[in-house]
Amino acid sequence: MISFLIRRLLASIVLLFVISAIAFFLLSAPHTDVGRTLLGQAAEQSLVDAKNAELGLDQPVLIQYLNWLGNALRGDLGTSWFTSENVLSAIGNRIPVTLSLMVGVTVITAIVSFALGIWAGVRRGAADRFVQVIGVVGYALPGFLVTLIVVLVFAVQLRWFPAIGYVDFFTSPAGWLSTITLPILALSVGSIAGVSQQVRGSVIEVMRKDYVRTLRSRGLSPRRIIFRHVLRNASAPALTVLGMQFVGMLGGAVIVEQIFGLPGIGSMTVSYTTRGDIPIIMGLVMFTVIGVVVINLLVDIVVSWLNPKARLA
Amino acid sequence: MKFGKWSGIAALTLATGVMLSGCAGAAQPAAVSDTLNIATLSVPTSLDPINATGSSVPFFQAVYDTLIRRQANGDFTPMLATKWEYNADNTQLTLTLRDDIKFHDGTPFNAEAVKANIDRFRTSTGADSKGLKNVSEVTVVDPTHVTIALTDPDPSLIFRLSDSAGLMANPTAFANADSLKTTPDGTGPYELDKGKTVIGTKWVYDRDDRYWGDKLPYKTLTLSVFDNENAIVNGLKTGQIDTALLQTADQRAAAQQDAQLKIQDTNVDVQSIILFDRAGAMVPALGDARVRQALNYAIDRDTMLKQIRQGLGTTTSQMFGTDTLGYDKSLDNYYTHDPKKAKELLAEAGYPNGFDLTLPRLAVIVDDALAASLKADFAAIGVKLTWQDLDQATALKQVFTDKGFPGFVLSLGQPANDWLMISGQLLPGSFNIFGYTDPVATELVNKIQHEAVADSKADAQALNRHIVEQGWFVPFYRQTYALVTDGTVTVTPQSGMAVPSIYNYAPAK
Repeated sequence: MISFLIRRLLASIVLLFVISAIAFFLLSAPHTDVGRTLLGQAAEQSLVDAKNAELGLDQPVLIQYLNWLGNALRGDLGTSWFTSENVLSAIGNRIPVTLSLMVGVTVITAIVSFALGIWAGVRRGAADRFVQVIGVVGYALPGFLVTLIVVLVFAVQLRWFPAIGYVDFFTSPAGWLSTITLPILALSVGSIAGVSQQVRGSVIEVMRKDYVRTLRSRGLSPRRIIFRHVLRNASAPALTVLGMQFVGMLGGAVIVEQIFGLPGIGSMTVSYTTRGDIPIIMGLVMFTVIGVVVINLLVDIVVSWLNPKARLA
Repeated sequence: MKFGKWSGIAALTLATGVMLSGCAGAAQPAAVSDTLNIATLSVPTSLDPINATGSSVPFFQAVYDTLIRRQANGDFTPMLATKWEYNADNTQLTLTLRDDIKFHDGTPFNAEAVKANIDRFRTSTGADSKGLKNVSEVTVVDPTHVTIALTDPDPSLIFRLSDSAGLMANPTAFANADSLKTTPDGTGPYELDKGKTVIGTKWVYDRDDRYWGDKLPYKTLTLSVFDNENAIVNGLKTGQIDTALLQTADQRAAAQQDAQLKIQDTNVDVQSIILFDRAGAMVPALGDARVRQALNYAIDRDTMLKQIRQGLGTTTSQMFGTDTLGYDKSLDNYYTHDPKKAKELLAEAGYPNGFDLTLPRLAVIVDDALAASLKADFAAIGVKLTWQDLDQATALKQVFTDKGFPGFVLSLGQPANDWLMISGQLLPGSFNIFGYTDPVATELVNKIQHEAVADSKADAQALNRHIVEQGWFVPFYRQTYALVTDGTVTVTPQSGMAVPSIYNYAPAK
């Protein structure tokens, strides 16, 4: 396990370097003009040139990248060109918002999906058909539509929850819960649809195994068989899907954060990428890569713990 | 296996969430409060005055005073300067300053501070710094008097001193200019609450009870940035936002569905094709005024306004704004939809079969409906319009830096000041990137620059008529935006600005 972790860590460092270089060179494509974007279309060319020089954009891209890399290795990711925010604090301010969403959705998805999946896989019949319908409907509904319906019904019409904004957990736990509930609800629909089907399929497959029949014949209670044996074996593929969904949730977070006006990483990625704010985008790229690596590593570790057959060498 | 227990837990969780949301003060019907929440789509690049520009100025007004105050109707009144006076040939402006104002660290506001600010502003790389390019020297006469010498008269100087160029920061902060970007240091009515502010998302200002001037009615001012109007409208409906400017017709319609929301019209931006290539260097046909006139006669403004903006706007053939001296109401209808006349003009100019025209298209400005409408209108007179799609990140470079197109469809603000309009849209530079002019325009511009603003109305109107007749632009309509409040706030629109000044808000009675 330790050698596996060391190999993963080294590969991750290489991955970070490679992705940072690719991202920087792609973002520095010659057809963009940050000075012009910053100063507006009416700015005189001499002023645009001066602004570009002030930002170091008159240097060759390789030099720009090496400057960025040198500073990044010292922990300085720079300052936003468009808002003057320190990149680390800008991302740090927004991570709690998106992380609240992602963790909340993952927890809700895990609880509801496992409950539905086990119910459908064990009971079969009407329960199974019901869960399958839920899966199809959840998949078929576009995420933005679900989000719009949720905000219109529960915030604008019923006024049970705020329609926009975010309250930090440490400022007000109740405020945090009220601002994060609807976004989590909106994002969870699609996730539950996917993971519950995965759990259902795995449970059905494991229930057909010989050892389950043996356990039954030995007189173990159904509850014990399901929770001690079936679930443990059926969890691995579901957890893998859950992990993938956690990482992929950034995409869904973009829509949800925009509609709920949440100042998170998703909406930040869209608005700063559109403007071409390289320091912020590079910070986001690094954050995302590190996040993906960590999540995948955690999933691998949990799966190997659950299923000795998948244990890492 | 029983699920009754689980469903009970789920119900309990939901109920707890709902109760907590109630405790947290989830959206309630709007009530008058001492906090003003303004939503905006604009983000200031920093809070250093050299970066102040356009719709981001309210972020600065909270913490900085300007030398001259511009009232909602456009009148200039004293602020940090009590008096201002030009010399005979309008090349030197003398300002008399207040003598009782200090920055928060005790540094006095005086003529030295004004000189330091103006010199820093005009030599910076800020977007508005070019506005002071005619300033040759700032001289301290005594602590309460300062003169600004100009190489040439600038009829927009007073306006600029009531805007970004007039924002006065503490000169002691210039030594560490980076700190000014996130820690403003002015004499304004509010102070930035750095603990509650999240730069890039939400700026929170607390009223400064030591403020020298009249206190503004709100203890706390919050400016929140959103990247879409849908969230803003939801916030207005639930009382989380007190006021915002809505530009899109769809979101205006959504706001109109809520009887609690109050809507005022504001007409600032005009949408048009800016014809850069008036000399015909890139597209020879555009060098003939008759061809440019034909393009103006070709478009069906009424239908465009009705179909594309649901009628929210006023069709026009002129670029001068309604608050300028040069505005001439009769020019709004100068070009009517007349394809027959357009064809005749093209034939007279030697283009009976039309010509090819390629224009850049930025989807956020030219949506599918507008693109199709213009293409069809031009096709009807034989002009084959080809759209070249550009993405937002590269469009400005390709159009304005590389000068790769003969024209561009854009929504331009219509300033209240004539010289701002002339210097921004007509003089070579900014929006006249090919540097075209003609003798009539040059003479009129020269006259307007050198005469007193109050005496320039006739010449400004003559210039306006000339550029309309010569077809320098193909204007469509002034777009009506919605200035929306949640009913607890009253707001007065700002002359020549889409976004009101922070002084224009008050609790509703």
